[in-house]
Amino acid sequence: MSGLTKQQEKLVADLEMEMMADMYNRMSTSCQKKCIPPRYKDAELTKGETVCIDRCVTKFMELHDLIGKKLTTMSQQDEEKMKQMQAQMTGQK
Amino acid sequence: MAAPMRSGEGVTKETISQLNLEDVDSFSLIVDHVIGEKKLHTNVFLPSAFGAGMRQREEIMITKVFESCSFKATASGVVGVGLGMALGLFTVGIDPMSTYTTATPDQTPSTRAVLKEMKVRCASYGKNFGTIGFMFAGTECLLESYRGKSTLSNGTISGGIVGGLLGLRAGLKAAAFGAAGFALFSTAVDYYFRHG
Repeated sequence: MSGLTKQQEKLVADLEMEMMADMYNRMSTSCQKKCIPPRYKDAELTKGETVCIDRCVTKFMELHDLIGKKLTTMSQQDEEKMKQMQAQMTGQK
Repeated sequence: MAAPMRSGEGVTKETISQLNLEDVDSFSLIVDHVIGEKKLHTNVFLPSAFGAGMRQREEIMITKVFESCSFKATASGVVGVGLGMALGLFTVGIDPMSTYTTATPDQTPSTRAVLKEMKVRCASYGKNFGTIGFMFAGTECLLESYRGKSTLSNGTISGGIVGGLLGLRAGLKAAAFGAAGFALFSTAVDYYFRHG
């Protein structure tokens, strides 16, 4: 791990745990709302519903990855801008 | 969520303060480790916490086979063959003379002739019912997989397709009538099973 203190490692693990739980909740709510119509004549999942849930979960995970990458690039850009501003301020002083 | 790392205590929502370079630094560092490139890929998802947990590999494979479209279509085809043969046997018992004519009419056919008739008719009915069952089940399963939903119109559309294909042997008009008839029949049966 590149330069993470023990406390930061704990924070990362906690955050990841919370993120996974939150993602699971959102995913199951969203996919259930989209894929399973509210008619409960049968306890078994039909083939259409199974296929729909597979696709929903795959799309959700892919979306999650894509948005995560976007967020990291945006935060990197923010960090560089901040560094430049800081360098300018210290340079002016 | 700006997480100030200066204090060294636990991070809570109350400790959010003004944003400065240290916060942004640590934010992007943490974000990189949680969802970015430096994420530690362990695949430990604690499945016992969510639902029924991981199933065994064999169980997953078996379930996949039994729910596949080809298995369903083949099973329907086999059931169709059996049903067709039973129906053929039954109709031969009732009236063995419909496709067989003896040399002089009003003569009861010999046992051998009846047995031959039985074989022919069982094979013919079994083949017909078997292909109908196979095609219909296969088409409906494929359609349901493609659409991703299981509504009443799946039966209608696949009935139309199969009826049209089967009637195409006798011309275009027969195909249209076959499609309409089979679609109607399939819708009625599905409706009965869903709402009956």
